[in-house]
Amino acid sequence: MILFEEVSKIYAGNYAALKEVDFHLKQGEMAFLTGHSGSGKSTLLKLISLMERPTTGRIVLNGNDISNIKGNDIPYLRRHIGMIFQDHRLLMNRSVLENVGLPLLIEGYSRYEIKRRSLAALDKVGLSGKEDFSPIHLSGGEQQRVGIARAIINQPPLLLADEPTGNLDPKLSLEILSLFESLNEFGMSVLIATHDLGLIAKMRYRTLTLKDGVMINDGLMRERNG
Amino acid sequence: MANQTDYKKVLSSSPRITKVSFFGRVGAVIRQHFQQIFSSFTELWKTPFATLMTILVLGVALSLPSVFHVLYKNAERVSAQWDSASEISLFLKKDISEPRVQVLINKLSMYDDIDSVTYISRHQALEEFKEMSGFSKALNYLDENPLPAVLVVTPAKQAMNTAGSKLLVAKLKREQDIDLVRVDIDWIEKLQAILSLVVDIVIGIAILLLLSVLLIVSNTIRLNILNQRPEIEVMKLVGATNSFIQRPFLYVGAWYGLLGGTIAWLLTFSLVQWLQSGVMDLMGLYQVQFQISLMSFTESAIMIAVATFLGFSASYISVKQYLVRIEPK
Repeated sequence: MILFEEVSKIYAGNYAALKEVDFHLKQGEMAFLTGHSGSGKSTLLKLISLMERPTTGRIVLNGNDISNIKGNDIPYLRRHIGMIFQDHRLLMNRSVLENVGLPLLIEGYSRYEIKRRSLAALDKVGLSGKEDFSPIHLSGGEQQRVGIARAIINQPPLLLADEPTGNLDPKLSLEILSLFESLNEFGMSVLIATHDLGLIAKMRYRTLTLKDGVMINDGLMRERNG
Repeated sequence: MANQTDYKKVLSSSPRITKVSFFGRVGAVIRQHFQQIFSSFTELWKTPFATLMTILVLGVALSLPSVFHVLYKNAERVSAQWDSASEISLFLKKDISEPRVQVLINKLSMYDDIDSVTYISRHQALEEFKEMSGFSKALNYLDENPLPAVLVVTPAKQAMNTAGSKLLVAKLKREQDIDLVRVDIDWIEKLQAILSLVVDIVIGIAILLLLSVLLIVSNTIRLNILNQRPEIEVMKLVGATNSFIQRPFLYVGAWYGLLGGTIAWLLTFSLVQWLQSGVMDLMGLYQVQFQISLMSFTESAIMIAVATFLGFSASYISVKQYLVRIEPK
């Protein structure tokens, strides 16, 4: 699903956010990306979602090199990547239903289809009955679920989550991660960036560890524990 | 090894369950256009006061050139009326005999650019003068009639303009029996020179006002874009293309133009109606029957279309300048 080959990202001022990173996330695989703040987790996710371009190296998504993709093609590619953010990035002037249905609206689905699928996605994340609410009136956990519903509504093959449990209590964090697990069971590749090692240990999935932009570990938590 | 960048392959090889067909995509684009046209109109009225102010400013700015246009159009009509009423007086030489006068009248009547010729003999001229001047007794003491015979020529339609009148006068001056040709076209030339100057001024003002319309709409759209920056970023993140995001802004610009143009039309109509009675009274003093002509349907449609196009163009400038620069962080 995702292949990184010696990918580096150097920002202005010669600051290297990523240094020759190599990894391969298979289709249908779920993995954690961890490391301290500034280790390069967000940069790595931004490279996959084409919010940034690599300085050197090659990124392959689903068998295709996206390192030098044309700007006009980026939106079409993003429609195949579900993105979840720590700050949710919801539109507060729109209802929960409108937020969730946004990707379908962009793709030109009919109102009926948007509503049908949005309600199904909200049901999946446990927010049935909240479709007409404004996101402002939802709790942090609920807002995160709306973000997840929006990310999965067009059934993307890849789900990227940047600190999805950063603002949530441990119980809610586990609920959200269980949700990711269930999505992964349906064949969706999932890459979750988090610095919550306790949470990672509980979930026991492959973990990619970054330190100062260098991939220092790529293995299964279970293996490391063992 | 992976292939070179080919997003279509990425799409086709993805395991998404639902894919949209070509016709489905075309239908979707049409549906999106209609949705965005109407939603952009609704969007305008979420801030009714600001929208109303903008539209009124546009309406006033656009109404000035249109009012000038209507006034100029009517001024031209007035000058054309006075132009057509002009007559040319031919003062004949004193020693010309009556038969020669008849020959001259016959000759002039055959000119294509002369409609009619009226003869006023020396005797008739003197009698008229006596009547009009009130010096009849004094004039009786004159040994000889000092007045010449006069031919009053009414030009044909094609010669009823300044250029045609000038040509006719030049032709008449070449006649040997005519002593003096008198036509009062100087004031018409002055009026036309003034009108021409007014046209230049109006064009200048119109360009400035249209430019101001462009700047007002462009700035309003720029502020809208900056206010909606977070929303634009989110839309880009979930796969919206630039054209999808920019369309509502373009439609909002077009709505501003359309509504501003309509307000301008209403203002022009009201102002001209208000001037109507005053103008009619003034014209009555000159014994001229005149009714102000309003903008025709075509002129009105052109004005509103131009306003809409201006709004759209102004919005396009802002969108190209600001929207494409916004990228999700």
